[in-house]
Amino acid sequence: MHTSDRPLKIAVMSFAHTHARGYIELLRNMPSVSLLTSDPGEHPATELRGRAFAEQLGVEYVDSYDELMAWQPDAVIVTSENARHRADVERAAKAGAHILCEKPLATSHEDGVAMLEAADAAGVILMVAFPVRFASTFARLKAEYDAGQLGQIFSVRGSNNGKLPSERAWFTDPELSGGGALVDHVVHIADLLEALMGTAPVSVTAVTNQKLHAERARAETAGLVTISYDNGVIAAIDCSWSQPDTAATWGGVSVTVAGTAGTVAVDFFGPRARGLDTATGLPIEAPYGPNFDEALLSRFIDAVRTGTQPQPDGGVGLRTLDIVLAAQESARTGRTVAVADIARALVE
Amino acid sequence: MTAAPASSSSAHLSSPDGKTAMTHTPLRIGLIGAGGISNSHLPHLLTLGADVYVYSEAGAPELVARYGGTVVDTIDELLAAVDFVDVATPTFTHHSLVKRALEAGKHVISEKPLARTDAEVDELAALADELGLMLFPAHVVRFFPEYVLLKEAVDSGRLGDLAVLRFSRSGAFPTRTPWFADRALSGGIIMDQMIHDIDIARWVAGPVVRVSAVTSQAGDATTPVEAAHVLLTHSSGAISHIAGIWGPSHLPFTTEYSVTGTEGSLAHSSAAERNYIAHLASVDGPSGLLPEVDPAENPYFAELREFTDAFAGGAVPRVSAAEGAEAVRLANAALLSLETGQPVDIDLPSAQASAADLDGK
Repeated sequence: MHTSDRPLKIAVMSFAHTHARGYIELLRNMPSVSLLTSDPGEHPATELRGRAFAEQLGVEYVDSYDELMAWQPDAVIVTSENARHRADVERAAKAGAHILCEKPLATSHEDGVAMLEAADAAGVILMVAFPVRFASTFARLKAEYDAGQLGQIFSVRGSNNGKLPSERAWFTDPELSGGGALVDHVVHIADLLEALMGTAPVSVTAVTNQKLHAERARAETAGLVTISYDNGVIAAIDCSWSQPDTAATWGGVSVTVAGTAGTVAVDFFGPRARGLDTATGLPIEAPYGPNFDEALLSRFIDAVRTGTQPQPDGGVGLRTLDIVLAAQESARTGRTVAVADIARALVE
Repeated sequence: MTAAPASSSSAHLSSPDGKTAMTHTPLRIGLIGAGGISNSHLPHLLTLGADVYVYSEAGAPELVARYGGTVVDTIDELLAAVDFVDVATPTFTHHSLVKRALEAGKHVISEKPLARTDAEVDELAALADELGLMLFPAHVVRFFPEYVLLKEAVDSGRLGDLAVLRFSRSGAFPTRTPWFADRALSGGIIMDQMIHDIDIARWVAGPVVRVSAVTSQAGDATTPVEAAHVLLTHSSGAISHIAGIWGPSHLPFTTEYSVTGTEGSLAHSSAAERNYIAHLASVDGPSGLLPEVDPAENPYFAELREFTDAFAGGAVPRVSAAEGAEAVRLANAALLSLETGQPVDIDLPSAQASAADLDGK
């Protein structure tokens, strides 16, 4: 195990996900962390990737995962394409490194199960990057719920809307991303609901279309999902990439929770200063507020130092993935899908 | 949508085609029902210059004492005294009362939902047609300025091809009278409250081909709560989510929508868009049962003015009996989805058979 008399060695596997930049920018400033990165493979010519990306960020880089693992990192952050999470997590686990995996956990239930087993077998931490859980507004919601101030929750409505990712082409390649807006945006709110209520989803209904960004999309760009939970709560999530490319900000995440004693609405990225550009009349929007990634990384680093599994863990990663898979199945078939059938299909 | 509540009936009710029989005679309207919503009908009918006769099993003298009008003791008496009938009673009574008024040769305004079952709304719409009588379902949200703007933005093409729509309506559980809580009588939150946004979604995004719904209930008999989520797939491919909350008694009435198309988006939140914010120690909070409205642009007034204008020979209103019937069919499809646990396909040929009627005028 790690001892605190030397810096923690953290490796970043892949620059595929746009969040890699944010994590690296936070980690490189931590004196107690030693950072090494790698982003092997063929990359689209238009994307800043590999060694050039590392140089731009001013962080150490090696050309292969073999070299990265030979460095014997204490912990690994997996920010590869969704469909490659399994291979990278298995590799990191085999090297004995604790793992923070970008969401969604994987693109199939089978992959997700294999990742949990790999971490288990290696005795390493597997945490999934759901940063919104670390918002102070969520902590307040959780505290008020736990104190009974909402009464019994009976309905939730959430939205996670953003732009169609354009900085990285793989987001719109279902082979690598696992789908479209459903796989990208349903998991955050599904994770919040599990963290809040600790309940299991029973059934999922989803409708989708591909009208927005039709020229670039290769999967659904708009999606609406309803979920029934085993405690009787119903939830609805709008996961659409409905923020236009021209929008002032990337989008946002919001939930409204209704209980027998009242409602709470949280707009996690809502606060902003607003103005107008004189030349064009276009809005100026300057969002502000704490960086949730910072709290997420801090929790992960604490967990690595102490060797205790933090939340959100691989289990919630898999359960939220199952909701996505059920939603995809529902959108495909026009039927409401039992979440248990997603796992059962694998066994049969 | 400029409204001048003080305008005289003759100015408003004169018809462009020369049918002036009623121009200088007040409309004689029979209001059936003296419950909550009658408070949003009677004063406006009176402002429009109508002679209003009120019949109700209970509460008519109190209602008339509050606003004016004439109490009558029987429906027969009411039908004998009026040319037009406004049915503002509990949902499960709409069918028989509207039918009776139509059969007596009266043009009718009916509170939404037009009736409780598909068979009932079909019968009423057919009967009005057959008798050549006007029948207007009071889908008042079509008269709220923020929803009128949405309709105009969509129709103008400003939003492009609609992709994803969200609607939300949240308020206190209506506990003042017991029939709301009885799903057999009221159809629950989907048929009573969410039918507003079901109608708006169909109005702006077109015919619906598939409906699914989930619901939850909690609380107890004295303080119940109820919620539902309804998903609609439109024949255009657009998708809509409609959220409804009947919450605890302190919950203010709020509405939201967010509509995104290929060329633009439009969103509204009643809680955010307020032009008067008071924090006064002496004043109660907002009502949980009805939206706050600007009295200079009161949607209930605008609705009743449009309907009564039509009665007097004016333009065809923005909502038809066929559309009220379609909203009920979609709400019933959502209720069926609750029972079966599966989405319900809507028979598209039937939904489009009256495409002209359903075109939202």
